[in-house]
Amino acid sequence: MSKASPRSTAVRAVDPTLAALFDVHEATLPNGLKVRLLANHQAPVVSLYTFFQVGSRNERPGITGISHLFEHMMFNGAKKYGPKMFDKTLESNGGRSNAYTSNDMTVYYDDFSADALETVLDLESDRMRSLRISQETLTSERQVVMEERRVRVDNEIPGMMDEELGTLVYKAHAYRWPVIGWMADIENITREDCQEYFRTYYAPNNAVLYIVGDIDPKKTLALVRKYYGNIPRGPTPAPVLNAEPEQKGERRAVVRHPAQSPSVMIGFRGPAASDEDTLVLDVVQYVLTKGEGSRLVKSLVYDQKAAVSVMLDWSWRIDPGTILFYLELKPDSDAAKVEGLLYAELERLARDGVTDKELQKAKNNLRADHLRELSTNSGRGHALGHYEALLGDWREGLSLPTFYANVTADQVKAVAAKYFAPERRSVVTLHPEAGANEAGDEAAEA
Amino acid sequence: MASRKIASVKNTVRKAAKAVRKQATSARKKVAQAKKAVPARAKKLLKAVPAPKSAATGELKLPALHESTTSTGLKVIAAERGPLPLVSVRLVMRAGGVWDPPGKDGLADFTARLLRRGTKRMDADGISEAIEFVGASLYAGVNEDVLSVYLTTPAEHFSAMLDVLGQVVREPTFPEQEVVDARERALAQFANDLDDPSSIADRAFTRAVWGDHPYGRDLGGNKRTVSTFTRDDVVRFHAECMGPRISLLTVVGALAPETVAAEAERAFAGWTGGPAVEPMLPRKQERPAKAGTVLLVDKPDQTQSQVRLGGPGFWLGHEDYFPATAMNIALGGGFTSRLMNEIRVNRGLTYGVSSYFDTMSAGGIFALSTFTKTASTREIIDVALKEIHGVRDAGLKPRELKDAQSYLAGLYPLRTETNESVASVIADMRIHGLGDDWVEKFRDRLRAVTPRDVAAAAKKYAFADRPVIVVLGKASEVKPLLEGLGPITVVPASDYE
Repeated sequence: MSKASPRSTAVRAVDPTLAALFDVHEATLPNGLKVRLLANHQAPVVSLYTFFQVGSRNERPGITGISHLFEHMMFNGAKKYGPKMFDKTLESNGGRSNAYTSNDMTVYYDDFSADALETVLDLESDRMRSLRISQETLTSERQVVMEERRVRVDNEIPGMMDEELGTLVYKAHAYRWPVIGWMADIENITREDCQEYFRTYYAPNNAVLYIVGDIDPKKTLALVRKYYGNIPRGPTPAPVLNAEPEQKGERRAVVRHPAQSPSVMIGFRGPAASDEDTLVLDVVQYVLTKGEGSRLVKSLVYDQKAAVSVMLDWSWRIDPGTILFYLELKPDSDAAKVEGLLYAELERLARDGVTDKELQKAKNNLRADHLRELSTNSGRGHALGHYEALLGDWREGLSLPTFYANVTADQVKAVAAKYFAPERRSVVTLHPEAGANEAGDEAAEA
Repeated sequence: MASRKIASVKNTVRKAAKAVRKQATSARKKVAQAKKAVPARAKKLLKAVPAPKSAATGELKLPALHESTTSTGLKVIAAERGPLPLVSVRLVMRAGGVWDPPGKDGLADFTARLLRRGTKRMDADGISEAIEFVGASLYAGVNEDVLSVYLTTPAEHFSAMLDVLGQVVREPTFPEQEVVDARERALAQFANDLDDPSSIADRAFTRAVWGDHPYGRDLGGNKRTVSTFTRDDVVRFHAECMGPRISLLTVVGALAPETVAAEAERAFAGWTGGPAVEPMLPRKQERPAKAGTVLLVDKPDQTQSQVRLGGPGFWLGHEDYFPATAMNIALGGGFTSRLMNEIRVNRGLTYGVSSYFDTMSAGGIFALSTFTKTASTREIIDVALKEIHGVRDAGLKPRELKDAQSYLAGLYPLRTETNESVASVIADMRIHGLGDDWVEKFRDRLRAVTPRDVAAAAKKYAFADRPVIVVLGKASEVKPLLEGLGPITVVPASDYE
């Protein structure tokens, strides 16, 4: 995870503005729990993040979606705070909580009034120490997750296309299945599966705790020791093997579904987060789609009027991830033609590179967005965890602005040429089927 | 990607119904929702902070507000706060959707979005380049009452960016081709929105609740209205409805107030037009247009039904705000609310359910928003109504009220955590007359609510009268399930294009 590509220290200097914001106190408890504390007295509130190094990447066929289903189970009762007590206690103390699961990790977070700190530590440590998984809550929570799947995937076009794309891009790696899991797996995951998941991945040595806000770091660390210190260390989880074979050519799939317009989703196989190409691709992403004047928005939406919108998502992942494009088209569009227009832009980038001005613009925006991300306790806590989980050390985040500032036009060009090659590409096209409206009209007459 | 709960169904609803339609982002949002790791969290910042605060008491204060007025009559409020070298600006004026001319639903929104597509000195590309080069962002949009232009910028570029903001507001040229293109994009988006179940349910709900009231209009317009938009419509709206004397500029961030005042004078010099006084709608509490009836929007490909319930609410600044808000937190606000507990936790019927007061300048509604698999459509409505009626008939237990108060009071400071949210709360305080002590006194006022106050509010708002019910789903299967709830009207989803 922290195996970094060759990087010269010259371009990884810590940004002074960020260094001033990140006076982080670090500790590791004897049970392996890592703790990072950051004071910020602007408001009487605190954000607490717990990052567990487990996501859909750690799953296997048959239990896809278990990381996420299990995430839900973490709110359903432990030894000291039983069913419904986690939220009840937190909310009645002026706090709120949520969590998310990704391909690589599961992240829990709480925002709360500063005077509730000790209560929150009690709550969080209780469920890390002694979660109780009852058949009854599992049955109910399973239904909730099935509704979540229906709303995000089964009844939403980009959701269903994304799921199709995943199985095209990956043949062997666990990134192949959706984080929420296949419906049949969600229906069949057992209580024993959940218990094993908890024992394997929710031990303190597989977690990092971040507390940011109106705190005294010293006193807070003492409280963390008090509440988490006696949770036993767990086994070291098995590493995930990346057995993904090389892609030999373009892959395509079609989704037929009632819709008003065709649309196209394209994934190019990208690098791992720890690869420096990832950061250059961040610059590429900004050049292509950040703002109305960015290349693809200007070209495809405004100048050629070929797309209603164009998005590009480049999300860092532990193992090589997907550079994803989504084109929302007009009714009666020729999807293949718009796809061609997109490739022409990507080829142009690989061939001619970027102008100095474009490059500088991308850098300015990366910096501004980076600062904005850090304007809240929650943003800072999340950033620390995100960098540590994906780059191996939260300090890597502090040098990002310097890295971006030193990216050259040649690097951009080389990375575009490397990753936007046709043989790295998978394409899902939505073919609208007649249906929705016609049937609706009949119903109206009935 | 997948997360335990949707930020709040209410936010989703509001986003679809009122938020700024950022052209290039709707698809992004959808894909991000289906795909990416960081969910709601990244989106729903309501934060920002009080610069001075006494750590001991946890007292909440906004930064000092420095007021000035430019020679053209634009009111300016500057609030200095750090430490990040960023600035947030919000220009807000009473030129929202309710002032769309008859038959021109969506014109305010359409005009707002065209502002940055050309000025006397710059074309659209020039404007985008100027803003985006320095890492700033600018967008404009409307809600029912106001038109807002939002600008965020690194502090060092404030002067140049305010100049661009001044240009797009004072002297947009609305080039003919830009109007034509925007119209075409909007029409394509309306068509594509038919595939977005929650957006269509929200549109249907807004019309069913408000009927002919100006708040019932489609804020973004619809296929029928937007296809009639001409450049003249846009030019006229800009000249007649937008102007300095009904506008407020709020600037929050790492800048001295004197700088802000001087730059505002310069950037908005010579701005004329618009009304001399703020237009106002008469305030009125009305029952929903279709109260007691069921509107079923047919979308046969769905495996899930979107459900909305609505009854009367109140306007911004209404005296019932605090008791009603406390009631709503316990009923359908937090994660431990009665609705969440019964519908999601106990019965596993949905992934998200919430109730909310949607408050606007001249009126508002109380509503519930949720979704469930087709077969449980009736069950979810029955359970929701039972829970809401339970609060109407018996109010809240003292302990429940206390928990709701602690919850909201504890989290309230998060609404003052970023420059953006401070700029917004300042604008809201002024535009809607909430008073300058709104933030400071908020938690005291909330804590002062008694069970008796809540019982009175519940009697009034928790569906004392029969609500309007809107369901979007597979009509052939859903319709039989809805018998007995009131007269059912079935319409195709395409009615909302």
